[in-house]
Amino acid sequence: MRRAIILAALVLALAVTCLTSLFLGSRPNGISDVVAALSSTGDAYLTSVVDSRIPRTVMGAIVGAGLAVSGTLIQGITRNPLGEPGILGIGVGASAAVVTGTALLGALGATSTMFFALIGAVLAVLVVLALGGRSSARGIVPLILAGAVISAVLYAYINAMVLLKPTVFDSYRYWMVGSLAGVELAQLSQVAVPLVLGIVLALGIGQGLNALALGDETAISLGFRIGQTRLIGIIAAALLAAAATAIAGPISFIGLAVPHIIRAMFGDDFRWRIPAAVVGGALALVAADILARVLIRPQELMVGIVTAFIGAPFLLAAVRRGAVMK
Amino acid sequence: MTVKMFRVGERIALGYRRRSVLIWLVMTAAILSLAAATLMLGKLGLSPADFVDILSGEASTATEFVLQRVRGPRVLIAIMAGAAFGLSGALFQNVTRNPLGSPDVLGLAAGAGAGVAAASLLPWAIPTAVGALAGAGIAIGLVIVSTGSGLSSTSKVIISGIAVAAIATAVTQFVVTATLRDEASRLTAYLVGSLNSRDIGQVGLIAATLVLAFPVILWLSPRLELMELGDELTTSLGGKAAATRTQAILVSVVLAAMAVAVAGPIAFVALMSPHAARMLTRTSGPNLVGSALTGALLMVLADLAVQQLPLVEDLPVGIITAGFGGVFLGYLLLTEFRKGQS
Repeated sequence: MRRAIILAALVLALAVTCLTSLFLGSRPNGISDVVAALSSTGDAYLTSVVDSRIPRTVMGAIVGAGLAVSGTLIQGITRNPLGEPGILGIGVGASAAVVTGTALLGALGATSTMFFALIGAVLAVLVVLALGGRSSARGIVPLILAGAVISAVLYAYINAMVLLKPTVFDSYRYWMVGSLAGVELAQLSQVAVPLVLGIVLALGIGQGLNALALGDETAISLGFRIGQTRLIGIIAAALLAAAATAIAGPISFIGLAVPHIIRAMFGDDFRWRIPAAVVGGALALVAADILARVLIRPQELMVGIVTAFIGAPFLLAAVRRGAVMK
Repeated sequence: MTVKMFRVGERIALGYRRRSVLIWLVMTAAILSLAAATLMLGKLGLSPADFVDILSGEASTATEFVLQRVRGPRVLIAIMAGAAFGLSGALFQNVTRNPLGSPDVLGLAAGAGAGVAAASLLPWAIPTAVGALAGAGIAIGLVIVSTGSGLSSTSKVIISGIAVAAIATAVTQFVVTATLRDEASRLTAYLVGSLNSRDIGQVGLIAATLVLAFPVILWLSPRLELMELGDELTTSLGGKAAATRTQAILVSVVLAAMAVAVAGPIAFVALMSPHAARMLTRTSGPNLVGSALTGALLMVLADLAVQQLPLVEDLPVGIITAGFGGVFLGYLLLTEFRKGQS
């Protein structure tokens, strides 16, 4: 009951934040302006301003939800509170693949962007797992270090490509830092399949993740197929992170901070944490995007800068609390 | 293998081995030839005749311009910043007994870079060096506070360092977006470090840092060798482990901050140098000289690559070191980390 109320409150907060997101930006508007714009009776310039905020609000919510669920899944699978698609290099992997595709084939359509992002995300996961070894045996540190290695190399690669082919990548700067500026609702149809699939898979393994948290042996003796749960979880996490990256570029720390807060609110049960992460992630990224628009008005920050600044302290706090053993 | 001692008075003695000295000489020769190549290759390259002219003081204005404004400062900064990074990494890795405890992994270089960027925002002029020092100090402070156990736990330090580096990078990106709009090349130069358009003042800064650091390091060196034995033995032999550690970290922070002030947060040179030096000289111990030389060599090599190699031409030098350093870190991860130390 308590959890249902918190979830309802989160949904309400998300609704309020999304509305706020329509009002606030590098140019603030009053309520009457927005109403006029939405009913298309207002002045044309204002209408276009408000119209441009609709897609970034919607896409921001979707990207945030995807990242938060991805983070929750990774944390469940690795049994470690520090698992995060950004830290593990999955977002950067997706970015690097898209940048490669763009360099080889010229500007990519939305479908092929998604395709490259997905390949990059899966490859990054595989390399990180291969480098970092089996997570359960040695804790999360080798995994995180492997993620840092992958990120360092791929960031260097992305930087180099963007600088070497400035004309090709003029509009692709957000592949270095995630940004929601310039997203379009049309992109939604291309990422809808992996997103929905990822969320459905994630919701389906909630019980399995709960069992995993008890330890491998207990889970097996209770009759759970832990290998299957892990595999589905990794696939869902990669799908969601790839879809989010295909829309907005690599955005770090949403997948870390949101699952932490959600866990504090909802406890350990993954059947609650995953749906709550959908709402919480959406809320967090839309709020971060509002900040990105108003902090240095009249210019805009990339939202990835805001999430890193707010989210990274969660990592410090987790270290301080002893989430890293040894 | 015999250890010889290099003595200055009663209290300062540096042990060295013949093999190490030989390798130091070879590395110095390599650095000098690469530096000469940097000056001579390419469109504005100087010819051997120009060198003769310069030495005899009869160089043309164009030659002097190239040497004093274009190529000269750049190659000097590459050598000295590389040496500073190498020393800083060696000091850190020694006193923290952490093979990955280097300024770049700790987020210290990124912090110094953020300090430089933030200093440029302030209305009154703050020297770059002060900004870099403040940023580096804050970064290392954050890491120490967040681990709650100093710098000795490899795992905690690494993860705190990743977080601190992320915060510092966000600060730098914020400053650059707020002031430079989105000029991708300037942003990248700020974030990864570049040696483009350096001037003689920056050469002076890093040279002064190295000159001042030299006697301190000479004085610290025997204490560091003693600390190889572990804190307890050090104390029982009359050494002061905690004090030496603090002093070495201070020197290391200053060296890294000044290197970042002149060259930007160049990744992984500080991490790679001590490891590469140990492999080359096959010695244990602090290996400060070897690390400094290796750092300088890496930087000159990377700088020469971005000036002359067709595929990577005109990239900021930090991209090259990040690429290679990342691969090297992966290699370390596969070997050292799996051996069971954590």
